[in-house]
Amino acid sequence: MIKNWIGLKTLVRREILRFFVVFSQTLIPPLISSALFIFVFGFSIGRNLRLEVAGVSYLQFLVPGLVMMHLIESPYANTSSSLFMSRWHNMIQELLLSPLSYFEMVLGLLAGGVVRGLLVGTGVYAVSLGFTQFSFYNPWIVLYFFVVVTVIFSCLGLLVGLWAEGFEKLSVWSTFVITPLIYFGGVFHTLDMVPAPLRIVTKLNPIFYLVNGLRYGMIGVSDTNIAFSMILAATLAIFLFLAVETLFRRGYKLRS
Amino acid sequence: MTADAITIQGLVKSYGALKAVDGIDLAVAEGDFVAFLGPNGAGKTTTINAITGLSNFQSGSVRVFGMDVVADYRRTRPLIGLCPQEFNFDPFLSIHKLLVYQAGYFGVAPAEASHRAQELLRYFRLGEKRNIDFRKLSGGMKRRLLLCRALVHDPKILILDEPTAGADLELKYRIWDFLTDLNRKGKTIFLTTHYMEEAERLANKVTIIHRGKIIHQGDKATLLGNQTLEQKYLELTKGAGEES
Ligand SMILES: Nc1ncnc2c1ncn2[C@@H]1O[C@H](COP(=O)(O)OP(=O)(O)OP(=O)(O)O)[C@@H](O)[C@H]1O
Ligand SMILES: [Mg+2]
Repeated sequence: MIKNWIGLKTLVRREILRFFVVFSQTLIPPLISSALFIFVFGFSIGRNLRLEVAGVSYLQFLVPGLVMMHLIESPYANTSSSLFMSRWHNMIQELLLSPLSYFEMVLGLLAGGVVRGLLVGTGVYAVSLGFTQFSFYNPWIVLYFFVVVTVIFSCLGLLVGLWAEGFEKLSVWSTFVITPLIYFGGVFHTLDMVPAPLRIVTKLNPIFYLVNGLRYGMIGVSDTNIAFSMILAATLAIFLFLAVETLFRRGYKLRS
Repeated sequence: MTADAITIQGLVKSYGALKAVDGIDLAVAEGDFVAFLGPNGAGKTTTINAITGLSNFQSGSVRVFGMDVVADYRRTRPLIGLCPQEFNFDPFLSIHKLLVYQAGYFGVAPAEASHRAQELLRYFRLGEKRNIDFRKLSGGMKRRLLLCRALVHDPKILILDEPTAGADLELKYRIWDFLTDLNRKGKTIFLTTHYMEEAERLANKVTIIHRGKIIHQGDKATLLGNQTLEQKYLELTKGAGEES
């Protein structure tokens, strides 16, 4: 499937360096905001909160949610802005002229988002170790969600990066769709902490399943069926990848 | 039978109601130096974009050494080097890095890519500027960088969309010498320009496009007779002065 290995490696390196050289804007802020969240909500307010069902401290409950938040936001921010900028400056033409297949192109563009997501996700977890320590309930499931979720939101970022016609359009999706879905997706609360009508809505929110899947892997606690969460995640990743590849092949907003 | 370097058949490209390219047929033999001429808006860049894959088209076919540029894009793209009309460089990279990345996309290994980038920059007198980004180059230097980038993967066909626009006299001569030399060494060159003197001096074939249609195609010598290219061009495109 991959023939142009050097080309792919070049693109991957390019996409990783793109965010790495501005690490103070791409890698540090999420770590600081997470430390603040953990300190204020988990360590201070949540200190006396014990989750009845789960039997874990609120802080331990919160950590997987926060990690998930950044496994979503970082890849999305990375690929959407990278692709949009490439279109804006027309330098996407460098790729379009090259013999990289559309599959390779999408894979390479994705890599920046995935790596940035993995770094930030791991970093947020590392920050949490300063406040609470626990060993993973199932590290393989944790790894699974790290990888699959960063792929999902890297693809989503590419879709928006293709579609957007202006800088402001990039943040429309994150502000009005992704962020609300994250906050209502069980990052901060269990299902039975919210009123009944909201529970039904919550169950329609795909991010709810991702948060709970990761939480299951990290602390063995979940509001959802783990198998279902895993299958849903893989399905979304594959579907979105194919969608992006198809649009690249057709040249949607890439070729006049 | 060996295939032509470029074969275009019945190419149609419209933007809404506007037919930018209106059913053209065109053949470029390997080793040719073609001047592709026509007034502003005639469809030159549009034709080039169809060859390189930068734009989709509605009907017709484009083949490069016998291979379809849409179906077989992985094999046709390495054969083409494009020097576009507009600058489209990554503003966040040094010009040396930019060339190395570009070569990398074409499958050139890093050490070799770096070596080629260095050589090209030196040849085009950009060696001293290798560590700065393209925004800090002058207009003529940017043109030279476009040439470097088009050549860094050593393509068999070089497509140049107004490569000497804004170049000073010295640079113009240098580019002319360079292109003549490349062509002598076997590269097929497809050159778009508004400088008739340039076309007349460099090319052995002349193709003229007007309002999306090819109005002339053939040997330069046969076309010219005892006229200059400028006279002949004006004659053929008479009435094309207004916006088409
Ligand atoms: N992306 C686009 N959308 C709509 N119309 C376009 C687009 N690109 C080109 N055109 C139109 O297609 C026609 C041909 O344009 P093209 O760029 O091919 O001209 P050209 O021969 O290269 O001219 P020039 O010498 O000025 O570069 C023009 O009428 C132009 O306005
Ligand atoms: Mg043009």
